[in-house]
Amino acid sequence: MEPIISLKNVFKNYGTKQVLKGINLDIYAGQVIGYIGPNGAGKSTTVKILCGLIADFDGEVLVGGLDIKKDALTIKSKIGYVPELAELYDVLTPIEFLNLMAQLYEMDEQLAAERMNKMLTAFGLEAVMNQRMDTFSKGMRQKVLIISGLLHNPDIIILDEPLSGLDANSVITVKELISKLAKDGKTIFYCSHMMDVVEKVSDRIVLINNGTVIADGSFEELKQQQGNQSLEQIFAVLTQGSSTNDASDQLMNAFSN
Amino acid sequence: MNFIDKFLVKLVLLPTSFYQSLGINTLQLKAILQTKIILGDRTPTGIRAIKRANQKKPTSGVSFSQLLMSVFLGLIFMTSFFIGQNYETKLTLYFSMFMFILASTLMADFTTVLIDVRDNFIILPKPVSDITFLTSRLLYIIIYIFKTAIPMTLIGMVFIGYFVGIWPLIVFILMVLLVTLFTVFLINAAYIFVLKVTTPQKFKTIITYFQIALAVLIYASYQIIPRLISKSQMAGFDINQSSFIFLAPPYWFACAWQYLTTFSGGFTMVFYTVLSISVPFVSIWFVVKYLAPSFNQKLAMITNSSDEQPVKSTNKKSAKKGWALIEKVSNWVTQNGAERVGFMLTWKMTSRSRDFKMKVYPSLGYLAVYLVLMLLNNKGEKAGFELPPADSFVYIFVVYFSNFVLITALGYLIYSEKYKAAWLYYIPPVDKPGKFILGSVKSILFKFYAPLVIAILVGAYFLLGAAALPNFILGVCNQALIILTIAYITINQMPFSVLAGNKTKGSSVVKGLFTMLIPVSVGFVHYLIRSFMPVVVLLTVLSCIAIWMIMDSIKNKNWEQIKVQEDW
Repeated sequence: MEPIISLKNVFKNYGTKQVLKGINLDIYAGQVIGYIGPNGAGKSTTVKILCGLIADFDGEVLVGGLDIKKDALTIKSKIGYVPELAELYDVLTPIEFLNLMAQLYEMDEQLAAERMNKMLTAFGLEAVMNQRMDTFSKGMRQKVLIISGLLHNPDIIILDEPLSGLDANSVITVKELISKLAKDGKTIFYCSHMMDVVEKVSDRIVLINNGTVIADGSFEELKQQQGNQSLEQIFAVLTQGSSTNDASDQLMNAFSN
Repeated sequence: MNFIDKFLVKLVLLPTSFYQSLGINTLQLKAILQTKIILGDRTPTGIRAIKRANQKKPTSGVSFSQLLMSVFLGLIFMTSFFIGQNYETKLTLYFSMFMFILASTLMADFTTVLIDVRDNFIILPKPVSDITFLTSRLLYIIIYIFKTAIPMTLIGMVFIGYFVGIWPLIVFILMVLLVTLFTVFLINAAYIFVLKVTTPQKFKTIITYFQIALAVLIYASYQIIPRLISKSQMAGFDINQSSFIFLAPPYWFACAWQYLTTFSGGFTMVFYTVLSISVPFVSIWFVVKYLAPSFNQKLAMITNSSDEQPVKSTNKKSAKKGWALIEKVSNWVTQNGAERVGFMLTWKMTSRSRDFKMKVYPSLGYLAVYLVLMLLNNKGEKAGFELPPADSFVYIFVVYFSNFVLITALGYLIYSEKYKAAWLYYIPPVDKPGKFILGSVKSILFKFYAPLVIAILVGAYFLLGAAALPNFILGVCNQALIILTIAYITINQMPFSVLAGNKTKGSSVVKGLFTMLIPVSVGFVHYLIRSFMPVVVLLTVLSCIAIWMIMDSIKNKNWEQIKVQEDW
């Protein structure tokens, strides 16, 4: 089977700082990839490359068999992206914002309007869809962003901390949505710091640190390699070289004087 | 904190034992007060908030420059001493200006001073008693007012002390304090009124417009007042002759000063003196007793407004109609896809973004002031209003000066506090980012220029006749061409994609001068050829062709030509 996303020897520098040091990754259709790593590991750089935002990297990235450096537009139209931190022009209303997105994906107006309506209603935003988002809570904005990433029915969905700010019920909705999308043949690239969620939603976990992949496999495989531990503990051992206990011990030590 | 702040904090904290007897924790009081002052020093407010837009450095030393600004404003008040034949007149004008400016600045600044959401998270969960917190707020406001009112009247004080005497000076200071008290009452009343007629959500928007109006007003007074002084009849003006003047509070204070310095003037003067001393105290008592409780409640509502469900807008129908028209325009002038998205996004952002409005709308006001002044200047010696002849330099100047607003708007197009939201340009399959930019620039042209063009052409037709139109049309076309050229050269980032703080001062000044030079020189050439009709027509055609070509070039900008903010 051909991988839907394939990264081969991907290097990226910001000035003298090397952020990605040869990433190799093959991702297959229908997989949910949990992409994890500490701050500054190169997660968002990878995401930006996949979304076609960064073109000046070394190596090769193929999406659906197309080279992202040559066919960025075709690839972009197949990707849905949900950014982190609820970043959007909040003086717009959800409908206005989603309309902009729909136009950019050159969607049929009627179809886009119908989908927007259904999706906003499903998230419980139907009452506020014509109100400016500057008064919205973080969770409400995040819901609008999730819709904006799914609206054009992309084959590949890149989620960057999609659950931040969501209430418990919406978290469940989104988690269920992810597995349903995957069953439908969509590929999900899930970046997060929330290990317990990654552990549950992904069928393959890729851990990067200092710009290289240091672990890759299903949660079961990782457990077998690292001893029967939680993903949190595996993460700590692999990225910090020690357990988090040391740091918390040091913090506790601050009280003893 | 600078030495003035340190001194003021020491001063207000002097009655330590008094505070302690009230149950106030003076250590906490000092900590809160100092922090508030440091915060205030680093947060631009009022007029400064607009100035900040032009000089984006990490803000600090606000309080010091605020002092200087206040002194400068006080200098403007001094013009009143050149008007009128007696001190009632001079001081009535002086106190009017002082009250007005003080009220405006305080009104605008109080939102940031009084409404600080962070208090809810930072101070309230700590073991701080209510009275300590309230006192800290109160002391902060006192310091704040003190720092605004005293510098504003400083030059006035020096003037009175030097030219009139020491006792008049003491009376003057007393009057300044009374006027300040009365003004604080007025602001409270205004706040309560605004909160009555609108929702807390809209409150901040209203304050924004208030700040813009204030900036324009200061500019206008700076331009107009010196012109008025030269009029000789101003010197003979006597305010006592005006009927209904007794209704104006500044007049009471002026009369009270006059009475207390000379102890002459009879019953009416005594009456005004009593009035000016009692009214401020009565009104403050009224505020504390009746208005303050509900006021605090309302203030809390503003603080919490972001958590509330948004309020539905009332005039939805008319708003919808407006958007339908704009959408029609966008369908007409832009191509489907990215260009139209750029157009609509820019239109909405420029109408709604507080940031953009603060930066660009004052220059709309400056332009209006300037145009009025230009026409006033042409009044000449005669009483009647006479238009300059059709080939006068004034018209060319008016047309070419009009894009001052456009250049400003264009200069701020790429900036936004929400710059991270710019991801939306990069994710969808759009081949040329130039499409967004062209849409945006068209939006700016249609929003800020089209109305002006219509006004200019209609005005020219009715005032000067059809024969004058070709020159105006050429001017208008050249303006559009200049704006598009500047857009082509300077806009290398996506609209609203750069953090507003990143504008470097030096380059923008040079850029500003350079960009102003283009219309001036084109206007000059236009002035030289204005009487050769065939040349004017030919140039108009050429100008239109050039517009079309430059639009095409903007549209064809590719991703390599676009700078992306690093920390996006």
